[in-house]
Amino acid sequence: MSQQSNPFLQPDGKKSSCMQMLQLILDGEANPEQKEYFKYHMDKCMPCFKTYEVDMTIKEMLRIKCRGDEVPNDLVEQLKDQIKQKIAS
Amino acid sequence: MEEVHRQTYGEKEKNEIFNNEFLPHIHSMYNFGYRLTLDRDDAKDLVQDTYMKAYRFIESFQKGTNAKAWLFRILKNSFINDYRKKSKEPSKVDYQEVETYYNSEDVDRQITPDLRVEALKDMIGDEISNALNSLEVDFRTVIILCDLEGFKYDEMAKILDIPIGTVRSRLHRARNLLKEKLSEYAQQMGYKNTKL
Repeated sequence: MSQQSNPFLQPDGKKSSCMQMLQLILDGEANPEQKEYFKYHMDKCMPCFKTYEVDMTIKEMLRIKCRGDEVPNDLVEQLKDQIKQKIAS
Repeated sequence: MEEVHRQTYGEKEKNEIFNNEFLPHIHSMYNFGYRLTLDRDDAKDLVQDTYMKAYRFIESFQKGTNAKAWLFRILKNSFINDYRKKSKEPSKVDYQEVETYYNSEDVDRQITPDLRVEALKDMIGDEISNALNSLEVDFRTVIILCDLEGFKYDEMAKILDIPIGTVRSRLHRARNLLKEKLSEYAQQMGYKNTKL
């Protein structure tokens, strides 16, 4: 793939850095053309490949480990009561 | 966001929106409140306050649109205006500097701290959670919105009232800080520094 077809080029013609490309891929913000380019790029850029693996693992672990807090049992009921009181007043 | 056109809802319709569009997000909202305040009672108060505001301003919400982003925005604003003012000093982070760095040639130089997938997979305790909680609240917030809740950049920009470019640079900085913290944990667990 040639330099000219780099789909990560910014409006001012500047190339995006590895980190900027990686972030778009990681966050699902890259378009299909950019994804394809990045796959090709990773084959020849070891730091990108390794960072991608680490970043994906962290993203996954954050989702698994930091979303488990139980909502207090009475929260929804209390909210509904407050709304009822508001309507009644 | 979806606040431009005021709607007219009857009492029944208001309750339907509240029950069917707002309440299903209670888990994410409570988690967001907790990750911002780092206190379960404060999180509960913040979520209650947010839902009461959402009900009060329900006519600013257009049925069927992005309720989750709308609620997150209200919660974030409540946190800044009511909670953070009481308890914390204003942020000392220079965001201009964060953005300039993100757009500079240097952004790739320190490509990642010394962290390996195997070390991360060994973190079976509270390391990830503690590392997230240790970040300055504005950095913590972008990680919560993006990685925990899966918001897109444009949604985050609306929730936080910042340009998309700033979302990206702040996220980049936040992730690097998180990795630095996780690297410290990895070293404590006996993993040696291994530069990529």
